[in-house]
Amino acid sequence: MGDDIPSLASTTFGSNLPPDVVSALVGLFREQSVPAGATIFREGDDTDVLSVIAAGEVSLEMDVPGRGRQRLLSLGPGDLLGWSPLLGGGSMTASATALQDSVLYIASAHELRACCETNRELGFYLMHEVARSLGRRLLATRLQMLDLFCPVNAEL
Amino acid sequence: MAGYAETHGARFLQVDDLGGLIDALRSQGYTVVGPTIDQGAIVYREISSAAALPRGWTDEQQPGVYRLTQREDNAYFGFSVGPHSWKQFFFPPRTTLTTADRTADGWEFGDVEQAAPRYALLGVRACELAAIAVQDRVFLEGSYIDPVYQARRDGALIVAVNCTQAAQTCFCTSMGTGPRCTAGFDLALTEIESGFLIEIATDAGQAIADLLPTNAVEEPQQASAAVARQKAVDQITRRMDTSGIRDLLMTNLNHARWDDVAARCLSCSNCTMVCPTCFCASVNEVTDLQGDHVERERVWDSCFQLNFSYISGGAVRDQIRSRYRQWLTHKLATWIDQFGTSGCVGCGRCITWCPVGIDLTAEVAAIRETS
Amino acid sequence: MSTRSNTNAPLDNPWQARCAVIESVTAETPGVATYRLRFRDPQDAQRYRFRPGQFNMLYIPGVGEIAISLSAAPQIGGAGDHTIRVVGNVTRRLAALAPGETLGVRGAFGVGWPVADLRGADVVIVAGGIGLAPLRSLIYDLISQRSAFGRISVLHGARTPDELLYSREYPSWEAAGVTVQTTVDRARPDWSGCVGVVTMLVDRLPLPNVPATALLMCGPEVMMKYVARGAIARGVSTARIWCALERNMQCAVGLCGHCQLGPEFICKDGPVFRYDRVASLLSVERL
Repeated sequence: MGDDIPSLASTTFGSNLPPDVVSALVGLFREQSVPAGATIFREGDDTDVLSVIAAGEVSLEMDVPGRGRQRLLSLGPGDLLGWSPLLGGGSMTASATALQDSVLYIASAHELRACCETNRELGFYLMHEVARSLGRRLLATRLQMLDLFCPVNAEL
Repeated sequence: MAGYAETHGARFLQVDDLGGLIDALRSQGYTVVGPTIDQGAIVYREISSAAALPRGWTDEQQPGVYRLTQREDNAYFGFSVGPHSWKQFFFPPRTTLTTADRTADGWEFGDVEQAAPRYALLGVRACELAAIAVQDRVFLEGSYIDPVYQARRDGALIVAVNCTQAAQTCFCTSMGTGPRCTAGFDLALTEIESGFLIEIATDAGQAIADLLPTNAVEEPQQASAAVARQKAVDQITRRMDTSGIRDLLMTNLNHARWDDVAARCLSCSNCTMVCPTCFCASVNEVTDLQGDHVERERVWDSCFQLNFSYISGGAVRDQIRSRYRQWLTHKLATWIDQFGTSGCVGCGRCITWCPVGIDLTAEVAAIRETS
Repeated sequence: MSTRSNTNAPLDNPWQARCAVIESVTAETPGVATYRLRFRDPQDAQRYRFRPGQFNMLYIPGVGEIAISLSAAPQIGGAGDHTIRVVGNVTRRLAALAPGETLGVRGAFGVGWPVADLRGADVVIVAGGIGLAPLRSLIYDLISQRSAFGRISVLHGARTPDELLYSREYPSWEAAGVTVQTTVDRARPDWSGCVGVVTMLVDRLPLPNVPATALLMCGPEVMMKYVARGAIARGVSTARIWCALERNMQCAVGLCGHCQLGPEFICKDGPVFRYDRVASLLSVERL
């Protein structure tokens, strides 16, 4: 890894936003490397960070008493982490762990929200892209829930 | 309507000589199958004489109703079609396909000799000729030829009968299949009071006609025959508008009408059993007690059966709505994609024999009206 | 619409099975095994023709018959490899058979994968669960002429890590120039790979040359619909996407009526279909 890190503008997230919105936001993000195995945030944390995955792979997990850490989903380049603080909804609903050496663009969630308040148009585009990202994840989660490969016991 | 008759001509057979036609067919080695009364209906069975024919009987048909009543005359063929179709002879309801025998070296798979009687079909109506042609496309003209159908169809002789009346449920004129017989037969009879005008279309038909005491056709006989055939045309009242029907149905797969008909349909499969073109079948294993000799049997099946579309886990069409839609769209729409013609010949059997009187012509009209 | 015709030569009696011997049984994943069959009569072997994506009807007299895609081309004299999951009567009985025992084979039937249309393309192969079985014969066919194709990626999703199919073979596929990515719906504690549905892998796969990209898929219909949707959203044409479909099959030759999906007979017009031909049919509930 190293040579292929896309700029914020060229991640899926960035490329779905109008260029002027990206320029307005890019100053709020900074690049952060996360080594494989590192915890990015824990379920229940009150972090104030929105992350865009630029490279690598991150695992989302939840802790189930009696079953331990359950891996839910793997996220990759272009996916968002930490939509909860951005939407002002409180603490993290899952833990995030880097599966591979990863690179994130991270920004302060409350700074992003302040930006949205003062610039409603920017706010619209940012929230729209967040919604789209969550919509894709919702579809993937539904497909997972359908348990399409579950073993079938049939009589024929 | 001329053309075929030019090649071999026409002859006239006195009414009392009809039995001679059956005798002639039998003398040539044919197994004659024709209409006869059984359990209150006119069905198709093997017959050996004209006495078996439903002379003087007619049928009254409506959605969900079939009754035999006596005619005022002594017509031999004064009825329309009943619950049987001719498909049972070429595409038997139950037939053994192959065998398997357990040996020391494993399974031995064997063919079944498709020995079949040489059928002479007596009394085939125009819609039924069309239905036979439809099934010929399915079983003989696709990528694979069905050996069972081929063995029975190859040697068959067809004596058609031009309808001289129509049932209330008939709609052959809408499907372009009748009531006049124009192709697909060896002989075609038109019954008038004094006898039968016989149109001869093939050498095989000529060979039979040559055995009969026929005369040249006289002009008054021609005229009477034409009048008789016209009665069938005039009596047809049911219609189905087939313009653009393939697209009409395939672009309305979620129409509310499917729910409407599903609330009435019992999914009983009657329509598919009486339909002369339906060809769905299943394969069963039939074994002896020890499982050492096994026969594969093909039996008629119906897309209305719940398990018809079963794949591991469940049936794809697990609702009546979906199964009725499958039957109707196949019959009237996707059949055209598959075989180049409609699967429906307008015989009206599905309307008569539906216990709740569902009329596919009305279903199509309802969809067309509100599409 | 033009007459539908099969590219198979007509068989003498399409109902007649030929005797095949079970040469070997290889356990793959829980409940799944691969049966390698060999025709008992060399003449049957000589006449047998197969293309990747086609299927055989495997017949156990007295029990029944099932349609199984070949997961590998036959060896000389062979009737092919069949990867089978136990789901019902016939497969359960088959699982109780041992090498040396016999069964009946009819086939090969159906339209196979469009290998000729893939020349020069970047090939994306998406397999859900046991859907990798009919694609495996395609993968080996592509590998055997590797230089004729661009990038080849295999994306395989399964329920759990131990249900990833043919995992022992992935290194040899990679060595042959095929990228393999896997994902599971449900992870085990020791699983460090990807978690999530295979559609995610498709969404994330770099497609450097979209017009030259072809996608071939097999798996649950729901999965295939959303894989296609994702690919189409990225600019892949529906004329460059192929899927393998499944329905109740009894005759395998388009005569029994069971396998119909709209106008298509899955057994003879498929099971492989170009996506533009079936996309609208797949979107109708319970068709």
